[in-house]
Amino acid sequence: MTNQNPFEVAQKQLDDCAQILKLDSSTHAILRVPMREFHVSLPVRMDDNSIKVFQGFRVQYNDSRGPTKGGIRFHPDETIDTVRALAAWMTWKCALLNLPLGGGKGGVICNPKEMSLGELERLSREYIRALNPFIGPDKDIPAPDVYTTPQIMIWMMDEYSKIYAKNQFGVITGKPIGLGGSTGRADATARGGMYAIHEAAKVLGIDLSKATVAVQGFGNAGSNAARLCKELFGCKVVAVSDSQGAICDDECLDVEAVCECKLDTCSVVNLPNAKCISNEEILELEVDILIPAALENVVTEKNAPNVKAKIVAELANGPTTPEADAILYKNGVHVIPDFLCNAGGVTVSYFEMVQNSYMYSWDEQQVYTSLEKKMVEAYHSVLNTSKEYNLNMRQAAYVLAVKRVVEAMKLRGWV
Amino acid sequence: MQLVLRLNLKDEEVKTEKINSGIADLDELIQGFIPGDNIVWQVDDLKDYSYFAQSFTDQAILDGGDCVYLRFASHPQIIKARPGLTIIEIDPAPGFDFFSGKVHSIIEERGRDVRYIFDNLSDLVTKWATDELLANFFRVICPYVLELGSIAYFALTRGQHAHTAVARIRDTTQILIDIYHVENAMYIHPLKVWGRYSSQMFLPHLISEAGWSPLFRSGEAATVASTAHKHPLSLDTSSIAPWESVYAKLIQYRQAGENLIEYTPEVVSLKHELIRMMIGGHPAFNKLTDEYFTVDDIIGIRDRLIGSGRIGGKAAGMLLARRMLLGENGEIDFSEVLEAHDSFYIGSDVFFTFLVNNNLFQPRLQITKDGRISREQFKEIEQQFLNGEFPPEIIEQFRDMLDYFGQAPIIVRSSSLLEDSFGNAFAGKYRSEFCANQGSPEDRMEAFLRIVKLVYASALNPDAISYRYKQGLSESDEQMAILVQRVSGMPYKNYFFPSLAGVAFSRNLYVWTSRIDPQKGMIRLVFGLGTRAVNRVGGDYTRMLAISHPQLRPEVGVKIAKYSQHNADVLDLQSNEFLTLPVVETLADCDYPNMHLIASLMSEGYTRDIIGICPRESVKDLVLTFDNLISRTSLIRVMGEMLNRLEKKYGYPIDMEFTAYVNSKGDVRINLLQCRSLPLPGTIGPVKLPDGISRELTLFRSSRFISGGIVQNIRYILYIDPSRYAQIPSMEIKKSLGRVVGRINNHPSIIEGKIIMMGPGRWGSNNIDLGINVGYSDIDNTSVLVEIAREEMGHIPEVSYGTHFFQDLVEAQIMYLPVYPNDSETQFNNDFFANSSNILTDILPDTASFRDVVHLIDVTLSANGLYAQIAADPLTRKAICFIGWG
Repeated sequence: MTNQNPFEVAQKQLDDCAQILKLDSSTHAILRVPMREFHVSLPVRMDDNSIKVFQGFRVQYNDSRGPTKGGIRFHPDETIDTVRALAAWMTWKCALLNLPLGGGKGGVICNPKEMSLGELERLSREYIRALNPFIGPDKDIPAPDVYTTPQIMIWMMDEYSKIYAKNQFGVITGKPIGLGGSTGRADATARGGMYAIHEAAKVLGIDLSKATVAVQGFGNAGSNAARLCKELFGCKVVAVSDSQGAICDDECLDVEAVCECKLDTCSVVNLPNAKCISNEEILELEVDILIPAALENVVTEKNAPNVKAKIVAELANGPTTPEADAILYKNGVHVIPDFLCNAGGVTVSYFEMVQNSYMYSWDEQQVYTSLEKKMVEAYHSVLNTSKEYNLNMRQAAYVLAVKRVVEAMKLRGWV
Repeated sequence: MQLVLRLNLKDEEVKTEKINSGIADLDELIQGFIPGDNIVWQVDDLKDYSYFAQSFTDQAILDGGDCVYLRFASHPQIIKARPGLTIIEIDPAPGFDFFSGKVHSIIEERGRDVRYIFDNLSDLVTKWATDELLANFFRVICPYVLELGSIAYFALTRGQHAHTAVARIRDTTQILIDIYHVENAMYIHPLKVWGRYSSQMFLPHLISEAGWSPLFRSGEAATVASTAHKHPLSLDTSSIAPWESVYAKLIQYRQAGENLIEYTPEVVSLKHELIRMMIGGHPAFNKLTDEYFTVDDIIGIRDRLIGSGRIGGKAAGMLLARRMLLGENGEIDFSEVLEAHDSFYIGSDVFFTFLVNNNLFQPRLQITKDGRISREQFKEIEQQFLNGEFPPEIIEQFRDMLDYFGQAPIIVRSSSLLEDSFGNAFAGKYRSEFCANQGSPEDRMEAFLRIVKLVYASALNPDAISYRYKQGLSESDEQMAILVQRVSGMPYKNYFFPSLAGVAFSRNLYVWTSRIDPQKGMIRLVFGLGTRAVNRVGGDYTRMLAISHPQLRPEVGVKIAKYSQHNADVLDLQSNEFLTLPVVETLADCDYPNMHLIASLMSEGYTRDIIGICPRESVKDLVLTFDNLISRTSLIRVMGEMLNRLEKKYGYPIDMEFTAYVNSKGDVRINLLQCRSLPLPGTIGPVKLPDGISRELTLFRSSRFISGGIVQNIRYILYIDPSRYAQIPSMEIKKSLGRVVGRINNHPSIIEGKIIMMGPGRWGSNNIDLGINVGYSDIDNTSVLVEIAREEMGHIPEVSYGTHFFQDLVEAQIMYLPVYPNDSETQFNNDFFANSSNILTDILPDTASFRDVVHLIDVTLSANGLYAQIAADPLTRKAICFIGWG
């Protein structure tokens, strides 16, 4: 984790892109800041009958390509700059996947661990009451994020529907499957990453059925990635890790056994008969594919020269530092950048909107097929941009996304 | 075994030299004493005993032997002090166990061939209430005197003890002599003289100056004997033991039917006397029992008591709490809430009779004195308990009780005198066992007896012995009473269990957010038998409910499932055993009554209520949240009121075990199983923090702690530097660090001194990036555990609030302090911790490789002989650790 202001980081990334795209200063200036942001005070009656006022935010970063879309975070350490940065990244991610959406994000400074369900419900409804004129299926569509659940999404959807006196399922995504939610969302992030890996392997001539994989991090994304690698392509998952350490097996790990072990003992390192290695070592293993799926900044200038994987698929947000990025590029490591690799989640959220709009629900297969199509298109678009501009994949993804947003702004006559 | 011992001794001992009694006629009559003789004098008047005892003493001193007078009674001295006589005073008031142990120790220390004169044994009955204990005392001491070849004089007041008690004394002693007076003449009548015989020995003899003469003539003998023995064959000799007499008097008063008998001074005094006999003599506890228990309550306890003696702390606490709740109408009418109880009590005397009858007293005494017993030794002694037998009259009462319960499951709970009593944190050291109580009456009796014996044996289990020793309770009177309760619950499928059970505390030390009011208490709630709430079960969790904010929980999302109860304890009525089953298996048929109150379904990362009937295909998603129970029923409000009322009446924080049932209408029924004063770490009252401690002498301050108190004279500080810990490159080294901490914790020098442990982040975490990987036994000797929350290597560790490890600390009374060194108010003394010399390798020479990270400081070496002190005020939530005088 860096102490740098996240919004300054996002602005710096945009500045680099602007230089590559030779953006005019006014376009650049528009893109450097959110189009709209809302700061709301949310008075909530607590269980002890007192009133507590919470601070809430909603940032609509850019809606040139469509209504803004992004999660709502309930977190005690929430800041407006974090929300701004995340809204900017959502803008680029939606553009990269060619979704007809802009980017947004929201947050409330609160600690859900210290709130009862009733208090959470009242806070969620209050948030919608405060922001309802500015959100909606064709304006801004929130979704779950840190500490916000499908239940919270339903409360919000219900409040919005009550205000407008009609059912408005499309105002929010991430709803429960039985009530406007989409199938396939549980492993959407990992599955989207898999489709990108599949394309990269084709490009690099790697036979996935013989490929070896190391997965760093074993949360929702990491564990699903390990499972899907084997299930979809027959890869050999030879190493996995979590915060307590890593395990490896040169032949192949039994992913199901690892999942059970993680569930029972809270860590993969307790898997019987597995060889333990350190969290540093797993990044430097002789594997075909390395999937960082945990924290940011794990691939650094220090260990990047030792990364032997042919593909680094970033399921985590920001696992590679800019310095490491340059080293990997120089060494010919093919990086699938985070906001491409982990875009499966937002894509399935978009599918949820589509299904709500049609009042229809897709089966899993339809979701998977549509997701694959989107990811394949996005991957090749990035790859082509990278070749066209002679950029690494991350730079190419940014350039492509920003370019699409700029094109929309131009078409609409904003610039 | 005693008989065997005597037979073995017979050949060699009888041949040994005879010992004079100091009275030639007596020596002639009984052919002199032989080493090992115990002589019991049954007298009407203690002057008679005094006459024989004085002569015996004079002779013993003349013979040049060790002569000891054991003085314990309230009557005047039996023999006069004189050179050569050692007088040892012992107070019998602390109880049978203490007294017997003391006398045993004296006999052991003084060795062989000693002459003992005891005060009148009858006096002990006024202290201990029952003849049973008197007989037990004799049967413990007499064989030991015999074994050591010493001789002892005892007196008993004639006609004042139950026939059964006298019979046991007669069976045990070597010589029993009656002394009585008829028409101004004094007669001596040997009733038993072991190993000696003459044709006249067992006749009454007239004592006169002309010599002792046997009563041969039938008419004369008949007159004397009939006058001296009013009830020669009575098995029902009236006893002076208060156990019988006080009870009889109270019954008389009750039968008189006077309305105000509760308030007459005599009845009040009799009630108090009976309370002390059955419940004990702790002044603070008696204040409550005297106030709240009615005569009917006390008689009711007595009517359900098997054997005699006390009912123990657990039973007393349960009864007192029930009375406190039922005796007053407040916001909640507890007569509508509390389930009736029909428990039985096995009196503490039965425990001692069992020990004495089965030759277990002496082994127990030795183990208690040593303060330790190995697991293997315990297994052996447990087997000896299992081989032991109960007296027929007790078996009869057991049978009556089992008939009463029929085939209803019961629980046999230890209820020792120390356990759960006022101010004693002794809970959980002894055994409690469920008895599914299925099968034929014979099978049920066999199973019950086995469990009672196991509970008795648990008085010697290594943990209990070590705890007593550590707490200085080795010599305290500790008898095991037993509480036999009907298991609360209902049958479901082949099982029997309560739908809800748990432990509730009137103070909440699990304050993981400042929103929680610690004064309002908390509940550890489980589905099924409460064993999972009472014991700490690895890998499974209870629902921890703050009474002030019952809906709050420290987990969100999928973690709710992880930190929920996964297994339930039940009684299997078919296999007649206690079982632990996965919750999803227990509830697999989805037809458990009111399942929607206790369970939710976890899907898509959040929990949702069960609506109607839970679909069978969703059973795998069941999570015990008790969400609807909390939000839709009055259970928490009722429990809160119970805790509040009990704490007010006790005058102390309390905890209680309970089971509960809530029907479909939301009516709450609670069965209160146990209530006791709650041991709190440190203090709950205000603590004044010292003023004017200079910055140099301050080691750190804290303003975010939970438990308060004062810890003085801390000699050692184990300091694990957070930044160095974060820099440890190898997981293996990080993992082995916990073992080093454990070795320090258990090192004798450290145990002798006082240690606090300070380290980064969450002690005991499975995640060694978050904190040091230790188990409870690695830190159980620390007085204070300090978790340093410091931003190093990019993350601020989350301190232990809300973890289950923290619960262990609370219950072990280890003070807990989170410290935030980067906060300027903390005044963290980096210099002291960095520059004090590290004595790690002096204590553990093979740990040199850990020296950089593990810093063990002997404060006295670094602070010119001064110690570290900690004061923490729970009201202002401020604490200071400083160098100074204690």
